[in-house]
Amino acid sequence: MGYLNTILVLGGIQVIAALGLAILTGYTGLFSMGHSVYMALGGYAAAVLYMELGVPFILALILGALFAGLCSMIIGYPTFRSQLRGDYFAIATLGFAEAVRLVLNNTYKIINGAIGYLGIPKLTSPWLVLIAMLLAFVLAHSFTKSQWGRNCLAVKQDATAAQMMGVNVLKTQMTALFVSAVYCGLAGGLLAFYMAYLTPAMFTVTKSSDLLAAVVFGGMQSLVGPAIAGFVLIALPEILRPLESWRLIMYGSLFVIIMVFRPQGLLGYYELELGRYLAPIRAAYARLGIRRKAKVDAA
Amino acid sequence: MTLFFQQLVSGISIGSVYALLAVGYALVYSVYNFTNWAFDAFMVVGAFAGFYTISLAHLPFWLATLVAIIATVLFSVAVERIAYRPLRNRNAPRLFMMISAMGANIALINIMNKAFGGAFRSFPEVTTGSFQLGGVAIGKMDLLAAVLSFAALVGLYLFLYRTKAGLGIRASAIDMTTASLMGIDNDKVAFLIFGVTGGLSAISGVFYGIKYAVYPYLGSMVTIKAMIASIIGGLGSLEGAVVASLMLGIIETMISGYASSIYRDLFSFSLLIIILLFLPNGLFGKKNADKL
Amino acid sequence: MSDHILDLQNVTVQFGGLRAVNDVSIYIDPGEFVGIIGPNGAGKTTIFNLITGSIPPTEGKILFKGQSIAGKRSDQLCHLGISRTFQNIRLFPEMTAYENVALGLHARPQYSLIEAFVRTPAAVRTEEQSSIAVYELLDMVGLKSLALERANSLPYGLQRRLELARAMATSPELLLLDEPAAGMNEDECDDLIRTIRNIHTEMGYAIMLIEHHMNVVMELCEGSRLYVLNLGQILTAGTPQEVQGNPHVIKAYLGEKDESYV
Repeated sequence: MGYLNTILVLGGIQVIAALGLAILTGYTGLFSMGHSVYMALGGYAAAVLYMELGVPFILALILGALFAGLCSMIIGYPTFRSQLRGDYFAIATLGFAEAVRLVLNNTYKIINGAIGYLGIPKLTSPWLVLIAMLLAFVLAHSFTKSQWGRNCLAVKQDATAAQMMGVNVLKTQMTALFVSAVYCGLAGGLLAFYMAYLTPAMFTVTKSSDLLAAVVFGGMQSLVGPAIAGFVLIALPEILRPLESWRLIMYGSLFVIIMVFRPQGLLGYYELELGRYLAPIRAAYARLGIRRKAKVDAA
Repeated sequence: MTLFFQQLVSGISIGSVYALLAVGYALVYSVYNFTNWAFDAFMVVGAFAGFYTISLAHLPFWLATLVAIIATVLFSVAVERIAYRPLRNRNAPRLFMMISAMGANIALINIMNKAFGGAFRSFPEVTTGSFQLGGVAIGKMDLLAAVLSFAALVGLYLFLYRTKAGLGIRASAIDMTTASLMGIDNDKVAFLIFGVTGGLSAISGVFYGIKYAVYPYLGSMVTIKAMIASIIGGLGSLEGAVVASLMLGIIETMISGYASSIYRDLFSFSLLIIILLFLPNGLFGKKNADKL
Repeated sequence: MSDHILDLQNVTVQFGGLRAVNDVSIYIDPGEFVGIIGPNGAGKTTIFNLITGSIPPTEGKILFKGQSIAGKRSDQLCHLGISRTFQNIRLFPEMTAYENVALGLHARPQYSLIEAFVRTPAAVRTEEQSSIAVYELLDMVGLKSLALERANSLPYGLQRRLELARAMATSPELLLLDEPAAGMNEDECDDLIRTIRNIHTEMGYAIMLIEHHMNVVMELCEGSRLYVLNLGQILTAGTPQEVQGNPHVIKAYLGEKDESYV
């Protein structure tokens, strides 16, 4: 039972982080191989706030997440500002992740550097993770359907054209980055209070590849896909223990294979949603709206 | 004062390693406009190939380097064929190419991890000791690294600017479509470019492996530095990559020598942010405009 | 004191050794319809890129509604009233026709980021209201029934129409059309002429048109003006009749009737 709990909690945490990265990479088209750094920042911040400053648990989680979001602006602003190509952001993200890990590993005051920040109370319950996960999903879904979400898609599909149609590309990209960092920060906080300790080694490039894998396998422009993939990618290795050493080799190969044969991933550019079934209803309503307007004009 | 010169020499040596990597990276970027993450793996392939050639086959150093280059070029060209060309041929968005590149990198590195294990290996004695030059000890290996890198870069320069094949590459860097319309074979260009970046990565892998150790993740930090150097020099500019790499190597070593190695890595990252804020196109870069 | 809505004054664009645009002066008045023709490489699209703020002029001034556009970003210029279509269609391929147009309508979100996450009743209402406007625009170009189709699944001709609708969604005062008739046959051209005329009459935009199909240009610019560009310079300007009769233009450009210069 405890084993199942662990999978549910860790899986749920990964889902939250994967949703964040989905918004950045799947919807806004920005490549990041360093998003585990925001999990680290959120986790450490939440833990420190709780342990050293007595901030209540949930508030600490939220503040930790926001802190991670703010940190993302350190790379976000310089790399997005001059409308530079995505490579700059990707490289800066890698550099940032290394730099932060370096600082965390070497800061022994309070957080105990590479040895690890110990003694964090185990306050994360499976129920909390479930609620957080559902909330995260509903909010993310709402965002992607909104005008902000539409701007993200436009920037991904053709940033130059988007700009000429009035989209502030810088603002859109920074918003997507901020949101993705907050999501990862929250995931990190939940992780800290489940594992009951934190070390920088928990947040390596491997963790970042896990998140990216969730988005690539699950599908671009989809939330459900990365959510499912994120969960499965945590649960599967537990089941397939003997293949653990092959895991990264498989991920890497799958990245290439998927990009070559089916880049849109599991769900393609379609989101599994009720919306597709509501669409004809929505269209009919709109047509009613136009007819109503015509009547008003005639009157 | 002697410390200063010793650091300078060490810095130039490390800077040369960065330069080889950065130039290879910049070459691919200038022609294909995407980031070849896999050059990390190429470097590691070179290091392992060189290492085993010396330690198992007991062949001389120069031969080991040659073997390293050949092995890496094989992988490099294969990666291009499998992971990049299909995407390039259908004009896939940059995001997809980056994901594929990262996939190739992760796969290769972890295959090597599985095959050779993650242990740190030391290169057998190649050449040790140092020259004494006016009271300053200059490591022979450092000197060799710097000289060989310099030779490789000069060779590359001659190739690009004095041969017909090089002209074809430079033309492709400006405009691939027009170049192919002028009769330049895109497949040959791809082979040459990835061959070159593979070779350069191999040499840097061997030297880096000698200076530090050989293990599957030896490339991760170095390649980030090389890419940062490339950005500082101006993405796509080969001269910029060389200049910035040397600069970075020297300043980093100074900081490491006079302060600590933590500040060394933080310095590179901070420099990147500063350059992005004030000189986004780097020292020698051109503005990356989108064709309308 | 001129009341041109757009005024390019002695504009030059130099790319290294190449003068793509050489001392060009062009103006257009509110609600006017102006054409720009010239051989390939004459600098026509470069001029559009100047107007939308994508490239800065090396020399000269560009005034929109009397104010210099120097240093303004393309999205800022869009909100000032400049919109365009592209030579090579640049729709958002995986978004539906509806979404493409909706984006043009609300590139500046009408509600805050928080409201994007938490659907307040107010946010929902604004979405519903804009939906009506989107359908009206789609209707104007005859795409209402295809609103939920992906942009890249639409046939070429309809994609061009969708681009028009999207450009109109930004409520421009100046609309730049870059070769809207490219790749169209005669029937499609006639349709297009009718659509553009309709839009011009109903919406009252100032419209600047780059086109290679001579009959399209000549018909749409009937009673208005035409600029002829060659090698980055203005060869001549005038009414369609004047331009057609100009020997320099004929020499540089106009071959047989209705044939585009290749």
